[in-house]
Amino acid sequence: MTPALEISHLRKVYRGGTVAVEDVSLTIQPGDFFGFLGPNGAGKSTTIHCITGISNPSSGTIKIFGVDAVTDYRAARKLVGLSPQEFNVDPFATARNIVDWMGGYFGMPKALRKARTEMLIERFDLVPHANKPFRELSGGLKRRVILARAMVHDPQLLILDEPTAGVDVELRMQLWGYLQELNRDGKTILLTSHYLEEIERLCRNIAIVAKGRIIRNGPKEEFFTEPGGLERAYLAATGKAADHVAAGAA
Amino acid sequence: MNWIGLWTMVRREIQRLARVPIQAVVAPLISALLFIFIFGFVVGGNIRKIDGYRYLEFVLPGVVMMNVIAASFLQTTSQIYFQRFQKSIEEILVAPLSYVEMIAGSLGIVILRSVFTALGIMLIGVVFGAVHMHSLPEFLFWVVFVSMIFGFLGIIVALWAKTFEQLNVLMVFFIQPLSMVGGVFNTVEMLPPWLRWLAYGNPLFYFINGLRHSMIGFSEGPAGFGVVFTLVLAAVLGGIVWRLYSIGWGLRE
Repeated sequence: MTPALEISHLRKVYRGGTVAVEDVSLTIQPGDFFGFLGPNGAGKSTTIHCITGISNPSSGTIKIFGVDAVTDYRAARKLVGLSPQEFNVDPFATARNIVDWMGGYFGMPKALRKARTEMLIERFDLVPHANKPFRELSGGLKRRVILARAMVHDPQLLILDEPTAGVDVELRMQLWGYLQELNRDGKTILLTSHYLEEIERLCRNIAIVAKGRIIRNGPKEEFFTEPGGLERAYLAATGKAADHVAAGAA
Repeated sequence: MNWIGLWTMVRREIQRLARVPIQAVVAPLISALLFIFIFGFVVGGNIRKIDGYRYLEFVLPGVVMMNVIAASFLQTTSQIYFQRFQKSIEEILVAPLSYVEMIAGSLGIVILRSVFTALGIMLIGVVFGAVHMHSLPEFLFWVVFVSMIFGFLGIIVALWAKTFEQLNVLMVFFIQPLSMVGGVFNTVEMLPPWLRWLAYGNPLFYFINGLRHSMIGFSEGPAGFGVVFTLVLAAVLGGIVWRLYSIGWGLRE
């Protein structure tokens, strides 16, 4: 079966010489709910930027459902929806326009775009806020708009970079339910988060990245058979276990 | 071709411009009105006819071209730079749009804005009884191609700029001075012979002269040179912009 995402020896060096991703290789199967964990600056977002076209990879290959994300980038982009960590929108545009425009960029005809936009606005409880400028929305509402925008073209691979950062418990639970529903419907989801319980609850496979390399990668169960579970495995993989233990002892 | 994506880029910019009507529409029209009134009507009333045309009729094409140039350059610099600044440019980068489509989307609104600005100034000219149309296709050629040239230049500056200050460098030090000495208010003949190189060596002279020919049939430049120069310049700048997009310079990290 063609993997949903296949990254091979990805390396990204920024113009100033900073190595953001040293060597990342990763395979995600279709229908998977994949957790991508790592401390700040580990290379998670840069890897995602290379997958989605926001960054140019320095070397390595990225294939999305077998389509090369660099040489056949237009076909590859159609398959991916991105909810980025930062709010990368026109703050004066309305929530409805933000979602609708993204559908337009993806070439969706007006009727289909309108139907999807309205469905997502309703799904994310944005109806009373749909015509307000983005900058006037609360943090949680902004996050919902970004998620709706990522889903408007009904992508096969959904990449969510810390989608629940700064949102309240209610929305987080609602979002988890929706993501599980999407995954059940066959969507492949790549999720980064600093909330281990979120990864634990949603994901079937997990990779931990640190200093631009994949440190551990495997099914969720592997992490939970060990004492201390995912938290311990995460801290050990990122080299923080000793500090953690010392802090706990103090 | 992703026509819907292209149209969305244009539609989005129209909506953005609708949020700033004073800056986008009213300011250039007021500025043009003042130029026409002071230089064309008040001062021009005391200047002899040029090639059988009133001074106001001579000045109007130059005022139109100055505003077309400013509108085109400001459109792409503000559009692209602000999108980079807000990171909303990423919405375009993650979409299935080719580099040509991304550039065409930006240029589409440039041409629309320029044509709209030119028509607005022409309407003011009608009020002053100063509008002539020697050749409409020629007029459209100059408005469209000069818009493209300054739209491309605006994209290059917007990709290069790291601060708001840098956005103004080309406008303040090159475009505005060159347009003022590019024959908007005077014929080449009015200049002393030793200063005539200021017109013939100035690329903007050929744009102003070309538009003036399309409107009143008066030209001081070598026939055909301006057209060839404009086409070559548009092609070269278009090639540079395409290359910058394809390597992601200023766009992708």
